[in-house]
Amino acid sequence: MSDRDDELSRAASEALHAFDEPQPDAVAPAPAGFAETATELGLAATPVQPPASLRADLMARIALTPQLPRLEEGADAATAATPTLAVPAAPAVPTAEKPSEPSGPSQPSHAGPAERRAAARWRRPVGVLVAVAAAAAFFFGGLAIGQLQDSTPSTGQTQAEQLADIAAAPDAQRAAAEVAGGGTATLVWSGELGRSALLADGLAPLPQDQTYQLWYIGAEGPVSAGTFEASSSGTTWHVLEGQMSAGDVVGVTVEPAGGSTEPTSAPIVQIAS
Amino acid sequence: MLGVVSEIPVSQSSPANAELTAVLERVADGDQLAFGELYDLTAARIFGLVRRLLVDHAQSEEVTQEVYLEIWQTAPRFDASRGGAMSWMMTMAHRRAVDRIRASQAGRDRDQRIGRRDITVDYDDVAERVEITIEHERVARAMTRLTELQREALSLAYYGGLSHSELASYLEVPIGTVKTRLRDGMIRLREELGVAS
Repeated sequence: MSDRDDELSRAASEALHAFDEPQPDAVAPAPAGFAETATELGLAATPVQPPASLRADLMARIALTPQLPRLEEGADAATAATPTLAVPAAPAVPTAEKPSEPSGPSQPSHAGPAERRAAARWRRPVGVLVAVAAAAAFFFGGLAIGQLQDSTPSTGQTQAEQLADIAAAPDAQRAAAEVAGGGTATLVWSGELGRSALLADGLAPLPQDQTYQLWYIGAEGPVSAGTFEASSSGTTWHVLEGQMSAGDVVGVTVEPAGGSTEPTSAPIVQIAS
Repeated sequence: MLGVVSEIPVSQSSPANAELTAVLERVADGDQLAFGELYDLTAARIFGLVRRLLVDHAQSEEVTQEVYLEIWQTAPRFDASRGGAMSWMMTMAHRRAVDRIRASQAGRDRDQRIGRRDITVDYDDVAERVEITIEHERVARAMTRLTELQREALSLAYYGGLSHSELASYLEVPIGTVKTRLRDGMIRLREELGVAS
């Protein structure tokens, strides 16, 4: 085969994802049109409407999932063309930014204000607030976290929309903490809205006579913010009931079924807002 | 066939590229409502493709969710100058569906999976068919212009998710032959569909 044939062959197989092993990124741009041709094959498949629960769940999940920052002008385009993210992703600090070069005196910054703001929003809470939460745990025994549940169809849409509102608020922040007994919890909140929501991965299911209960813990002591069950599918999310006040700590305890009026056990996780 | 591009009708179920690109730009700015719009415009196509490859409904839902999370995460990296929005999303969906096939236990049952689907562009189970798309008609017609061997290899690769070695084993031909059929089939299809090269 000629080089041209090789190039076409490689491009055709890439567009079909037919290689047995992942291929290194092409040095030269692929011949035009194969990706679009493959897309035509894809569009020829019969459209099937996914269940409504999929949309509701996605809307909730994106509210808690950070986006990659935009690429700088002239940055590695191959990376942009072939994103290989691990999904689903727990909220994470963006890692795609290049380390700054201290020796570069005139290094231009292409990051727009929105990007920097977004990046800061993601970066800000995690470390600091985990520490704050740990401090709060020290003086208070029981904390609560929001319940996140692959919500029931009747409430899922509403919960998802509430979660989207919270996460989309201009002052939205989030913080994550480990859950005692396994798993990770992330709190997202808006002080302006006075609302918060909790997302938890790897939360263990409880026996029938027990429930997870959420608490807002402020100056007045803990106030119940509702109960929830762990989702069987790994990720649980829940919008907290009631009003959050600035500085409240959110905690989760395990309580008897039906919930308690005040915490009866030590918190399995707590996060300061 | 060049020049046909402008004549391609845009079906109702396939949102115009400019509209999709505009919505995707808003998604790239973190607009969650825009993400909902993007989902509504494309979910049936994405899910339809994924289900076509995976057959299994639950797995198709999982993969579709992965695809949309990736779309959300990587939307700021979308570059309209490098291709259309729908193509970007469909490519992602196809790759993830193929990855799932190859990672799953079911991938071993290759013959069984092949047996469950037509190897040509054909209709899925009628009961769940939303509509017969214009794209379907165009592609089905274009596929008739390929040789039988090209059509078979292309369909098994794209709709069956078979890799080179699996195709070679199933079709009982050398891998080089598989690659040639895929290449020539794609070149022909590209021409017949009037995709600019």
